[in-house]
Amino acid sequence: MSKPYYEFFCPVKIIAGSAALEHIPYELKMLSASRPMIITDKGVRAVGLTDHVLGAFVETDMDIEAIFDDVPPDSSTEVVERAAKIYREKGCDSIIAVGGGSVIDTSKAVNILVSEGGDKLADYAGIGLLTRPLKPFFVVPTTAGTGSEVTLVAVIKDIEKGMKLYFSSYFLLPNAAVIDPRMTLTLPPHITAMTAMDAMTHAIEAFTGLAKNPISDAYATSAIKKISENLLKVLDQPSDVDARLELAQASTMAGIAFSNSMVGLVHSLGHSLGTLCHLPHGLCMNLFLPYVLDYNLQERGEVFGELLLPLAGAEVYARTPATDRGRKVISVLRELRDVLYERCKLPRTLSETGKVTQDQLQKLAEMTLDDGSIILNPVEVDFDEALSVLKKAW
Amino acid sequence: MELEMRKMLDLSRLRVDGLKKPYVTLMMDIIGRSLEAASQVDKAIQQDVRRLPDGFTFDMRALPDGPSFNMKKVDDCQLKYVGPGIRDDNDVSLKFKHVSHAFLVLSFQEGTARAYANDRILVDGEVSDVMKLIRCLNRMETIILPKLIAQRAVKRYPKIPLFSKVSLGGRIYAQFVKNVFRG
Repeated sequence: MSKPYYEFFCPVKIIAGSAALEHIPYELKMLSASRPMIITDKGVRAVGLTDHVLGAFVETDMDIEAIFDDVPPDSSTEVVERAAKIYREKGCDSIIAVGGGSVIDTSKAVNILVSEGGDKLADYAGIGLLTRPLKPFFVVPTTAGTGSEVTLVAVIKDIEKGMKLYFSSYFLLPNAAVIDPRMTLTLPPHITAMTAMDAMTHAIEAFTGLAKNPISDAYATSAIKKISENLLKVLDQPSDVDARLELAQASTMAGIAFSNSMVGLVHSLGHSLGTLCHLPHGLCMNLFLPYVLDYNLQERGEVFGELLLPLAGAEVYARTPATDRGRKVISVLRELRDVLYERCKLPRTLSETGKVTQDQLQKLAEMTLDDGSIILNPVEVDFDEALSVLKKAW
Repeated sequence: MELEMRKMLDLSRLRVDGLKKPYVTLMMDIIGRSLEAASQVDKAIQQDVRRLPDGFTFDMRALPDGPSFNMKKVDDCQLKYVGPGIRDDNDVSLKFKHVSHAFLVLSFQEGTARAYANDRILVDGEVSDVMKLIRCLNRMETIILPKLIAQRAVKRYPKIPLFSKVSLGGRIYAQFVKNVFRG
C-alpha cells in the first residue's frame, strides 16, 4: 500500500570519499567560520585520527583553536558545560566533532550552549525548543554505524537529576557530515561488525516500519546492499579503503533513512538491554534483529521479501519463490550473524553475551513496552509477546 | 456486509468542512471523560496509570489553540478529567498539527500509531509516560467501541471475550454517566 502522506528532511551536506577531510577548511570558510574547535575522545585521539583532521588545516590560513578530548562513552551535562566553557575562552566560532555516537551527541549539546548562551544545558531539553540556526557544525564519524551525523537528536545524561535529557530539533543537524575512509581504517574487527549491524538494523527497521516512505526506502535499500557486499570484505581485508568507504556511506544512508522513518521493536528491545545490562548498542541490534523479524514476518513478509535483492543479490532473489523471500531474508541474516560470531565472537543470543541473567527478562520486557520506538513497529506488542521474543533470543 | 458498514463509517466521504472543529471538540470531551471512567473501572488501565509519576498531568490538543482536553493522575491509579484549555505546564502533551488531523483520528479513519507514522502528531514529554498513555487510550477504545470501529483505531484488535467486553464496557459507560451527573 502506498503511503498517503509522509515527510522527508535531510539538509546535511555529505562530503564523502578520498581526501574528504581536506574539504573542511573551505567548507568552514563558506559558512564564515575560521576558528574551529575539535571535540573528540581520548581513544580517537590516541590512535591518531584527530591528526588526520589537523593535517587538513596545515598549509591553510586557518587553525584549530582548541581540542576537547575528554568525552566519555556516556556523556553528561557536566562534560558539555566544560567543553562549552573552553569554546568560549578560546574564542572559537565553529565545532568539528570527530568520533562516534557519544562525541557527536556531546558536540550537538555543546553547540546548543555556545549558540544560545547560558550554562545550563537542561534549559534546552525537549522537542523543538531551539528557534534559530546554531554555530557551524561539522561531523567526522569514526565508526560506521550510528548515523548520528545525520540525525536531529542528542541524548545527554543529567548528573544532578539522575536522568537522561533528550534534545530534538532541526537546528541540531550538522551543516556537513565528512565521510573519509581514513577515519574507519583502524576500527578493530568486532567494532566494525557491531557498528555495521547497527547500520543494517537502522536500514531494515526504516524499510519495514509503519513510517516507511519511498525516499527513505531508497536510502535503506542502498545501505543494505553496501553493507552486505562490503562487511565481510572489510573483515577479510581491514585496509581495503574502498570497502571501508562503502560501509561508512552505508551507515550515513541508513542514518538518513531511520531519521525519517524511525525504527521499531529491535530498537525498543536494544534500548532496554543497553540500559539494564550496559551492552553496546550495535551488539544489541545484532542480537535481536532476526528474532524481531520472525515476530513481524506474518504481517510484513512481503515487505521483507523486497529486501532479499539488496541483501543477497540477484541470483538468490531470482531462485527464491516470491512467497519465501521474507523468510529467506531472515535466514540470510542469521547466516551473516553466524559468520560474525565465528570471526569476532559477536554474540547472537542473550546467553552468549555472558552479561544477562534469565531473571532480568521480565524487567526487560516491561522496559521494552515503554520505549518510544515500539509505536512504529508494524505489529502490536504486549508484555507476553515481548517476553516471548526475549526468551527466543536467550 | 462488513464492507457496506465500512463505507457507512467512512467519514472522509462526507462533506464535513466547517464541522470538523465542533466534532473534534465533542470527541475530545467524550474521550477525556471516557478515559476517566475507564481508569476507575479497568484494572489493566489502572496498572499503567499507577506507574505514572504522582500528580502527572497531560493534554491532547489540536494546534494552534484547540480543541483540547487536560487530565491529571489522582488516587494512585486513576485519571481525572480536568476539562478543555491550553496549558503549557503539563508533563505530556499530544498535539495534532491541525484540527483536520485530529478529525482523522477521532473519526477513526486513522489509528493513533498510523497518525504518528504519518507525522500528524507531535509528542512532548517523557517518552515512557507517553507510551503508557497510548496503551491506556488503546485499551479504552477497544473496550468501549464496537469491534468494527475499534479495529480502525488500534494497530491490532485484541482477543477479548464478548462477555468481558460487554460487561466491562457497560461498567465504563455507567461510570461515565455517573461522573457527568456528579460534575
